[in-house]
Amino acid sequence: MTKKPMTRREVVRVLGTSVLSALPAAALAAGRQQSVKGSVSGPLLQVALVPCPDYGPENLAAAIRAGWRSSRPPDVRNKRVVIKPNMVDVSSDRPIHTDPRLVEALVLHLGDLGAREIILAEGTSHNRDSESLFRRSGYEALSKRRGIFLIDLNYDDISPVKCVNPRATLLKELYLPETILSADILISVPKMKTHKLAGITLSMKNMFGILPGMKYGWPKNTLHWNGIPLSICEINGTVKTHYSIVDGVVGMEGYGPVMGTPRKVGVLVMGDNALAVDATAARVMGVDPAHVDYLAMAHKIKLGSLRREDIAVIGEKIEKVRADFVLIPEYSLLRAPKG
Amino acid sequence: MGPIKPMPNLSLARALDFIKANQNPDGGWGYRPGGDSLVEPTGLCLLALKAGGDTAAMAKGRDFLKACLKESGAVGINPRDPEGSWMAYAALLAFDALGAGSEESRLRDWILGFEDASSRFTPADIKAIAGDYRYDASIRGWPWTLNTTGWVEPTALFIIALSRAGVPLTEKRIKSGVDLILDRRVPSGGWNFGNPYSKLHELEASVMSTAIALAALGAASVPESRPAVGAGIRFLTLSLAGDISTASLAWTLLALESFPAGASQAAAIAARLAGLQAADGSFRRNLFETSLAFIVLSDTAILVRTPGKGR
Repeated sequence: MTKKPMTRREVVRVLGTSVLSALPAAALAAGRQQSVKGSVSGPLLQVALVPCPDYGPENLAAAIRAGWRSSRPPDVRNKRVVIKPNMVDVSSDRPIHTDPRLVEALVLHLGDLGAREIILAEGTSHNRDSESLFRRSGYEALSKRRGIFLIDLNYDDISPVKCVNPRATLLKELYLPETILSADILISVPKMKTHKLAGITLSMKNMFGILPGMKYGWPKNTLHWNGIPLSICEINGTVKTHYSIVDGVVGMEGYGPVMGTPRKVGVLVMGDNALAVDATAARVMGVDPAHVDYLAMAHKIKLGSLRREDIAVIGEKIEKVRADFVLIPEYSLLRAPKG
Repeated sequence: MGPIKPMPNLSLARALDFIKANQNPDGGWGYRPGGDSLVEPTGLCLLALKAGGDTAAMAKGRDFLKACLKESGAVGINPRDPEGSWMAYAALLAFDALGAGSEESRLRDWILGFEDASSRFTPADIKAIAGDYRYDASIRGWPWTLNTTGWVEPTALFIIALSRAGVPLTEKRIKSGVDLILDRRVPSGGWNFGNPYSKLHELEASVMSTAIALAALGAASVPESRPAVGAGIRFLTLSLAGDISTASLAWTLLALESFPAGASQAAAIAARLAGLQAADGSFRRNLFETSLAFIVLSDTAILVRTPGKGR
């Protein structure tokens, strides 16, 4: 009889959180699994850049299928899959949150692939009224329509997990929701946006939302005091994102992540390494990823790679879909040269 | 302020039964049935039980909260939390209501010493924050968690708890907290988490933040003649025309009951809130929301005692 690998929750249960906490980069351990070893010859990482002109269900389904096939997706059969969208807030006239139509298309795709359980989970960071936000975002209706769980990570049961790289006093350990700890597969589905404090926000920054507000507050200010680049790297080094899909059908430029303006790009950026996906999405936005503090730091600590030569982009060429997002003056130096 | 007339479609007894049925073996309550016990839902459930007169369940719940009280007097989110946090407000309300004098006194002193990061800001920081977010970062309030900035909701929750526990409104932390709330108002009315602006952009108010902020100002006897209060009441009144969550509706009832200009809407809001009760007696099967709804529908003075009124 083949023994199934333990889920993260089982690791916590069997070893106990204190034992788990004592293990650097323990079994949930994402940091090590996510990391990519040093220099290589030829691309190690694979990212799909897929055209998707609008949020029509057929276009979304086709784009997700194409991107999934041409990247290195996780095996979701019989797995508990958690989808983490980006919902810092909801507005009727600004595309702040990941479009629910994309999330729904992903849910259907995962169902077709045989996922055992699908959970949509978010821990909003400004407004803690999740009942209202889930309703206004369309996620509540989606969860009812498709029979999936909708979890508010801000008030989930939590367990402490030691950071793989606890350099700061504020994040020696992370309190993580059981929904995240028990996930077999974690899929980050961020919106392609500029960010007033981080430059851009994509898959790695989206992971701020897995930390529970009841422990970190709203707007998760502990992470700001700890330093945004360091916090992003510590979270992503501790918790593995198995796959990322960036909603670049319509993104947000200018004064994001909340007060920016819509920017149509018409793409999805997909892949199994969050840093490579973010670096590729940054290039689509006309941003040099090496100039984005947290991406450069993530590259340095080997959470993947942001270098062009390490990433095979499958599908569209970046130059063909590049849409230079309006950057606020503080981040104008992030702009990548053309050509 | 005070008891609201019974509504035919509401069963406070069933709400209480739901709360009692979902007490954890450790005496506390989680946000959802079977969830780990936490201080905020436990504190509110205890207030509801006290109002309903159930002493056996109360004793176990009080013991859970006592186990959360550290040597320093701090209370975190649960007994294992190494730090004090915002949830201490609910423990103070419960200790006060249950007559746990010594615990109440230690926790009250800790809360009065629970600092935000305002003292760590340099003059340059304060100037930069004033430029970008248009608030005065030198005003002391309360943070959600240790070593971080003061925000509207934790400041308001601590004002509500301290004033309910009898701390004089002249106490400097309460006065400063009121100043923070007034300073952080969104110019067009109401409050959000605590940033009125972000650079040139005025940020939107939210119902929950506004309702909790207004309830705190009511508890601190800030008159409705203050423009921020009037604008907040108008924001809530307008918001009632739309979709509002269960918790926000409960806080809104508490907030509007705290001011004469809002009190006339209380009966309608109470009826709307009562209409959200599920057949099992709960509100969304959430123990915090069920106990909060129970409290504001039975007697808002359990949380906010307006001078000269209520208990």
